[in-house]
Amino acid sequence: MSEAVNGPPEPDRLMEVRLDPLGIVRLTWSPGLQITDTLARRAMELVDLTNTDRERPLLVDMTGTAALTRGARMTFTRRCSASRIALLGRSPVDRVIANFALGVSSTPVPTRFFTSELAAVAWLRHGDPA
Amino acid sequence: MATPPDDRLDQLLELVVELASGDTGARMTPSPAADEIDAVIVGVNMLAEELQALNGDLEARVTERTVQLEQAHLQLERLALYDPLTGLANRTLLGDRISLAMAHADRGAAPPAVLLLDLDGFKAVNDSFGHPVGDLLLVEIGRRLREMVRETDTVARLGGDEFALVVVDAGHEQVLAMAERIRVALQAPVQAGEQSCWVSASIGVCFAVRGQDAATLLRDADTAMYAAKNGARGSVQVYEPRMHATALSRVLLAEDLRVAIADDQLLVHYQPIVDLTTGRTTGVEALVRWEHPERGLLAPAEFVGVAEDTGLVTALDRWVLRTAVAQLAAWRSGFLRGHEFAMHVNVSPIELRTPRFAEGVLDCLAEHGVPPGDLVLEMTESHLMGEDAGTLSALEQLRTAGIAVAIDDFGTGYSSVGYLRRMFLDVVKIDRSLITGLDTDPQQHRVAAAILAIVDAFGLEAVAEGVETAEQAERLRALGCRYGQGYLWGLPLPAEGMTALLVVSAAMNPP
Repeated sequence: MSEAVNGPPEPDRLMEVRLDPLGIVRLTWSPGLQITDTLARRAMELVDLTNTDRERPLLVDMTGTAALTRGARMTFTRRCSASRIALLGRSPVDRVIANFALGVSSTPVPTRFFTSELAAVAWLRHGDPA
Repeated sequence: MATPPDDRLDQLLELVVELASGDTGARMTPSPAADEIDAVIVGVNMLAEELQALNGDLEARVTERTVQLEQAHLQLERLALYDPLTGLANRTLLGDRISLAMAHADRGAAPPAVLLLDLDGFKAVNDSFGHPVGDLLLVEIGRRLREMVRETDTVARLGGDEFALVVVDAGHEQVLAMAERIRVALQAPVQAGEQSCWVSASIGVCFAVRGQDAATLLRDADTAMYAAKNGARGSVQVYEPRMHATALSRVLLAEDLRVAIADDQLLVHYQPIVDLTTGRTTGVEALVRWEHPERGLLAPAEFVGVAEDTGLVTALDRWVLRTAVAQLAAWRSGFLRGHEFAMHVNVSPIELRTPRFAEGVLDCLAEHGVPPGDLVLEMTESHLMGEDAGTLSALEQLRTAGIAVAIDDFGTGYSSVGYLRRMFLDVVKIDRSLITGLDTDPQQHRVAAAILAIVDAFGLEAVAEGVETAEQAERLRALGCRYGQGYLWGLPLPAEGMTALLVVSAAMNPP
């Protein structure tokens, strides 16, 4: 079973947050988006709303994101209800943006960039191989 | 269809040049290809954004630090130049302002005037109501002073209850009028918190002359202020060179007094206190005299003030107490055995506040085998004003031991009746100013009658001072006054003279 949490239109049309059957919360950004501070805050709210009172792993699909502002990166350094975060992208641009998010600011929970969804889900469910 | 030339690398190069030249707002839009070149473009954009933000942060921090630094500088200047309690100038700034005014005077302006103010009765406020009330009083006084001067004048607090003003561009008449206005304004009661306080100010005025330095000017204003303080309280005195000579002679007198106490130049004279009904001498007041090697016999009025100002009063009072108690012990062991008799000794409030004062008095009595009931300690009304915890505890200890406490010069101070209501008195000595003319002036008679009635109402004994005629003595007796002291029964006499008188009195009035 999967349930989607959709807020009011704008900025919620630009993102989708849902809980998948594996217990992973999926945040999917619309492609070509410049992720601002406001959008980042709304995304975190929706994730928290989905998780209610527990923590769950979070898969962020940021494929095709055009830019990530500094304000948005600062917002992502705040602790939310995600227990660990996998950033999923495809292109070299996705990789650069993701690594800015990872490298410039310190993240509050384990966070990694993946180009393979399978690898990302595996890491979210089982963590790093011993 | 031909593929348009890919000029992204050229654009990227331009972007890097723009950024390097300081335009941190420069950016480049990546292509939809999202390939490695676009990744580099996005990376450079993000690095530029980071750089821009860090620069902004740094600039904001520099601005913030600069403001903090300016504030700290101002605060430091305030600390260095202003009195933290009243916000008035301090001694340093006052000195600067005087020097500035003197420099103007050198270029032709009128030399400034310096007013030095000392509050009369401030210590009593502090002792009675506590330092927080004293502080509020100082703040209010500072406010009043500021209101009375012009923008160009300076008001400073020099410490304690001492204030100073530098008045510029004003004639002598204007300065004196200002001093008078200040004197009157400070006489009005001050509401300090919940307490209403009455103080007055002794004001010294010094008109600068060209070439004078700030320190000398302040010293001379201070000398004039002391002259004001030593005269009628709450008065204005203008500095005159002879005052400096007087001040200097006081310093020399203090030095002489220090030697006198150690070298036995002091003497005690005794003046009888007489029972107005029986005519018996029931006691004597010990009065210190100084046999000065050059100036001859000096009365207390000529040196007690100096002793109080220099702290010598403690040694002086102790010497008088020891001498008087030893004398009483000698009389008691002989002709005064079994007679009603008390030795009155004056005590300075300064001494009363010293630790273990009461123990010292009791030790002195024990050493000479004199019972505490034979001693009456006299202190002036104004001195009792400062009834702090130390004073009250000393008085209680003395009275518990059996020593009587007398208020001296009653009727010359501020709130006389208030003291009679307190529980720390046994005897009231009515000042001679209330006795003079008692036998000729009906008004004076009515005043004396009223005061004696009040003293009686509080269950205290009265001693009338300055009784000069038999008529005065009779009137006092008729008004219910129990004891008298004055020229009618004799001047203060040296121990030998008083011994002879007491021998006769004792023989005529057996115990």
